[in-house]
Amino acid sequence: MRLRFWGVRGSFAMCGRNFLRYGGNTPCVELLTRDGERLVIDLGTGATELAKHLMKTEFGKGKGRLNILLSHTHLDHIQGLPFFAPFFIPGNRIRILGADPAGSTLEATLQNQLAPCYSPLEGLENLNAYVTIDSIVPGTTLELDGFHVQTAAVPHGNMWTTAFRITADDHVVTFLSDVEYAQPDQPSPEAIALAQGADLLIHDAMHADHEYGHRRGWGHSPVAAAFAVARAAGAKRLILYHHSPDATDAMIDAVVADAQKDSPIPVFAAAEGTYLEL
Amino acid sequence: MDITFWGVRGSYPVPGAATVRYGGQTSCVEVRADSGARVILDAGTGLRALGQRISRTGGGVPARHHILLSHVHWDHIQGLPFFEPAYVPGTQIAVYSSVAAADELRPVIAGITRHEFFPMPLESVPAQFEFHEVEPGLGFTIDEFQVMPIALNHPFGAVGYRITADGSSVAYIADTAPFTEVLHKRHFLNGLEPLTNEDRATLGQLRADLVRSLRDCDTVVYDTHFLPHEYEKFPHYGHSTPDHGLEICAESGVRCLVLYHHAPSHDDDMMDDLAADYRQKGAAAGVDIVTAREGMVLAVGAPA
Repeated sequence: MRLRFWGVRGSFAMCGRNFLRYGGNTPCVELLTRDGERLVIDLGTGATELAKHLMKTEFGKGKGRLNILLSHTHLDHIQGLPFFAPFFIPGNRIRILGADPAGSTLEATLQNQLAPCYSPLEGLENLNAYVTIDSIVPGTTLELDGFHVQTAAVPHGNMWTTAFRITADDHVVTFLSDVEYAQPDQPSPEAIALAQGADLLIHDAMHADHEYGHRRGWGHSPVAAAFAVARAAGAKRLILYHHSPDATDAMIDAVVADAQKDSPIPVFAAAEGTYLEL
Repeated sequence: MDITFWGVRGSYPVPGAATVRYGGQTSCVEVRADSGARVILDAGTGLRALGQRISRTGGGVPARHHILLSHVHWDHIQGLPFFEPAYVPGTQIAVYSSVAAADELRPVIAGITRHEFFPMPLESVPAQFEFHEVEPGLGFTIDEFQVMPIALNHPFGAVGYRITADGSSVAYIADTAPFTEVLHKRHFLNGLEPLTNEDRATLGQLRADLVRSLRDCDTVVYDTHFLPHEYEKFPHYGHSTPDHGLEICAESGVRCLVLYHHAPSHDDDMMDDLAADYRQKGAAAGVDIVTAREGMVLAVGAPA
């Protein structure tokens, strides 16, 4: 399985020289199997870059097929949707899967994002590709074109998000963003179960540990929480993800250097740009 | 009076190496009078950095802020939930937008902070928000600023503003299509639609009103999203080219035209070429053409 980060920034897209090495786009991750099957997680602004890449492939000819998982519908995870070019080519078959937000449905929420006052697209019906939107119930298991996906609800401030354990080509990637546990050193059992023995754990680490005190309750993890999950689950590698918009390249370098010092497993910060081979 | 560009990009923010010089954040311009009074034009992603600047320089004293919205498409409002002063109790934020762009402004703005989209709903934000609906042709004042809303040609409606203070004036004309092929109304356009005679008359009127509203304006910030060959492919998207902006400004006797709302695909090198090319075209037409960059501060009015 191969994996590429197209967006790693939490909350807000960041532009300029201070954000070039890790990248300023909001969340979007692409996974590819050996056979070329593809799965995308989240449609932050990184999806606009992924879209350019996909348009050079069968998606540009209206022959693409894609599953997209949404962890939740906070704006930084869907703001690339109206600009995801494969949606505008007739013939592409694209399925968006995600949990219903409280009191609403996934489809109604995305429809609301494209409401006439907010978007010149004026509704999902104006996407020319064949787009289906499927509500999923966290806790269920999905089979998505070569990817076996276990899902679970994890706490995120006053709500919850959907986390994923993705198995393909005999490798396991666990995606846990955006999440905050009651205590950083006490991750929820669902999170640990999802990350059990994972080859790669991608975890929310929006806050450096020393910043966490006054940001508790905002729905995001300090680096220590990501480590706690990796340790409890026996994950083999840890990638810190969903970087704070205020974290410059130099600040992330410092967090990673600090984290690597006493880590029993390899730990990296997610960076836009290249395919990682598992 | 001077203006500061906090976001110059159209449609969506574009991080990365290709936008470090012109900037990747979306629409937001700050207008400051000599007294220090301020109005903010649009609340795109550029608003976050402006909010941080205000927090750092304001000494934490709650103030009253005025945000004039051209319309409520995402790229013009999505910075609002990230505007730091909104989280300081005692702050007042007055938001202005046209009736055409949103039937009722409060639910539209509250809608972007619904729990599906953002962790804190508008009603829990410490600042006090008030919403004002503006109407093209009906002027009003904010501190020493005289503000005149101007109708534009954009899907679902948009308004520009001419702002006068300290004896000079600046206008903000975004977003707008030119006034020829398409009349934007309140329905989705998949491409060009044939114009009725009535549509042509409406377009003519919009254009004449815009030219009159910009008469002898010192500086005009104009939606010049597209290059001409791009516009030909997407005339129904609701945006202009620098040539469209120049034509209007030359006719209005405008001194300085600022190219603004750059397409996300225009990297810094393209922007350099575009800037040089249009500086020359402007000079030939008697208009000083400047290309907006994030962080740029521009004095408005004749040099002292």
